[in-house]
Amino acid sequence: MAGLFTADIENRGLVLDPRTKLAVMITLVVFALGGAGSDIQAVRLATIAVSALPVVLLATARQWKKAAVFGLLYAVLKSAELLLVPQLSGAALSIVGLCCLIFVRLMPSLIMGAYMLSSTTVSEFIAAMHRMHVPQQITIPMSVMFRFFPTVMEEFAAINTAMRMRDIRMGGRNAGRLIEYRLVPLMVCSVNIGSELSAAALTRGLSTGIRRTNICKIGFHVQDFAVAAVSGAVYILWILGMTGVVK
Amino acid sequence: MSGNAAVLRDVTFRYANGEQGALNFLGLEIKRGECLLICGSSGCGKTTVTRLLNGLIPHYYEGELSGDVTVCGRDIRRTAIEELAGTVGSVFQNPRSQFFCVDTTAEIAFGCENMGLPEAEIRQRMDAAVSDMRIEKLLGRSIFKLSGGEKQKIACAGVSAMLPELIVLDEPTSNLDLDAIDELREVIAAWKSQGRTIVVAEHRLGWLDGLCDRVILMENGSISAEFSGADFFALSTRKLNSMGLRAAHTDCNYLESETGLHAIKPFSGSEVITLENFVYSCGGRKVLDIGRLELPAGSVTAVVGHNGAGKSTFVKCLCGLQKHFRGTVTVGGKRLRSRDMMRLSYMVMQDVNHQLFAETVLEEVMLGAAEGSEEKVEQVLEKLGISQYKERHPMSLSGGQKQRTAIASALLAGKKLLVFDEPTSGLDFRSMEHTAELLSSLDRDVTVLIVTHDMELTERCCTHILHIENGQIKQMVKQ
Repeated sequence: MAGLFTADIENRGLVLDPRTKLAVMITLVVFALGGAGSDIQAVRLATIAVSALPVVLLATARQWKKAAVFGLLYAVLKSAELLLVPQLSGAALSIVGLCCLIFVRLMPSLIMGAYMLSSTTVSEFIAAMHRMHVPQQITIPMSVMFRFFPTVMEEFAAINTAMRMRDIRMGGRNAGRLIEYRLVPLMVCSVNIGSELSAAALTRGLSTGIRRTNICKIGFHVQDFAVAAVSGAVYILWILGMTGVVK
Repeated sequence: MSGNAAVLRDVTFRYANGEQGALNFLGLEIKRGECLLICGSSGCGKTTVTRLLNGLIPHYYEGELSGDVTVCGRDIRRTAIEELAGTVGSVFQNPRSQFFCVDTTAEIAFGCENMGLPEAEIRQRMDAAVSDMRIEKLLGRSIFKLSGGEKQKIACAGVSAMLPELIVLDEPTSNLDLDAIDELREVIAAWKSQGRTIVVAEHRLGWLDGLCDRVILMENGSISAEFSGADFFALSTRKLNSMGLRAAHTDCNYLESETGLHAIKPFSGSEVITLENFVYSCGGRKVLDIGRLELPAGSVTAVVGHNGAGKSTFVKCLCGLQKHFRGTVTVGGKRLRSRDMMRLSYMVMQDVNHQLFAETVLEEVMLGAAEGSEEKVEQVLEKLGISQYKERHPMSLSGGQKQRTAIASALLAGKKLLVFDEPTSGLDFRSMEHTAELLSSLDRDVTVLIVTHDMELTERCCTHILHIENGQIKQMVKQ
């Protein structure tokens, strides 16, 4: 789990500018989740293409396993929505239909989120926010959060190991209290680490008063333009659809 | 400019949350360019002094402060902590919680970026710090994949790049092995030759021999004795122990000299636990390759070896925590596979907070205990000296009491093999002695393995020493 929320900078494959990732995310939220322009055939097809983008991006970041799992899951759900749901009726229709509706809409954004978190470093994130003129008062707390997650994950893994050794697990005598048993040590450890982390950051001059500089190089490259073109295309189709040029 | 890097005058401090380490009318002058060691038992206030020097007190840790603290010519109360950042650098104890970035290059640059320095200058300072510490190989790596020693070096490089006048280190070695400590020593020597003032608060002393100019001993929040570096390291171990300090000279590399590997306690017993086929490969490399090993049942065995020798893989396999491991353990004529080993053994981790779950100590130890064993529970709690705490929340106990609670829970769950991961790292002399007594007082039907670098602990409670190098047994020592 430690791979989540951290960019493995030793083996990261294709690097995109964080701003490009954000643009894709917004596109996914508008079209896949929000369902904008779903009355236009061309936009519907383009949305499917854009929804596949996060899976492709995961693959370019060499996160093969995640790409395969998410890709497969999305493919199954989408084909169920397109092929299975129209055949159903009654209770089956409402259950399967609802599940498909929710997951097919949510998944692209979720996969994109997983990709963003697992492929961006803290310094890239700060640099991108800086370029977008987001004030440090917002960026710094968010970057602390970024840094905090992987540590909490590490703690969680250690706690799970301890639970396995004590034979406290699913289906055991104490199944009902599993969540409490995990949360108490997790919270104690997280509070300790959070407080130490803030102390360390303060002694190294992290503050909102001074204007930070950044040595992290971010910028747009060929891959950014390619990705931006794909998501831009959906908007164009949408506008063309609304003006009646395409259907 | 005065000759002092920092002056503390009549400083009294109490933590608002009642944390240990209050100061009582402490007076201290730290000269420019000196290397000062602050020692004393846990709770004596040495960490509090480091926090005053880097401004965390009064700006982050709250409490009542009186007296004057001047650091590099500035009144600490009127100086914001971020202004102090370029002047005072800090290295902390826990490598897990002092990093802000997830990659090494960004981490080294982090402090300088916060100071708002131009990019070209940051690059230049980083290059200097990196070549000073010879860590070119560590650039561009993920922080989560570094060893404790490597992490500590990155922390030092980040501090170095900010070019501070005063560098404060709070127990920087408590998570490091001997090789990593040697490297940290070189870093400090380099800082010293650059004329920086260095203050180290430490339990482990040996590595600073020859480096520090002055040593102060603290007790109950004030200075109880002061020595020159040379005088201090000439003190006998017995004298140091009587002051509540750890021995200074066991930290030298016993693995090479092998002198530390002999003084162990006698042991008799004929039953054995047989480990077979302890082989484990990772990425095509054999990390562990032990064909057969007999552990005397009821023994207390220290597992020693260099970093990366395979010690932690070995104990993980033994506790059934290593996936895809096919070795077996034979105990009392029964042959156990990996999954069953988990029922046999229990690991007490370095951070005990990870393994205490329940609301009270009693509930905690009852979690895995067999039904209807109230009497035995009482006995075990009594023996471990925690029966008076049985209604307390485990998280409200001290570190040592938590460790005892974890041991009690393992004993009551019927574990026959206890593994301890560095149980005394960061402990002062008295706590280490308590742990040693506890480990040697356990019943003979429990076999104990201790992964440790602590030779003082080893000579107090171990009956055997298992030395592992390159995944193989180098030797098994007994009296």
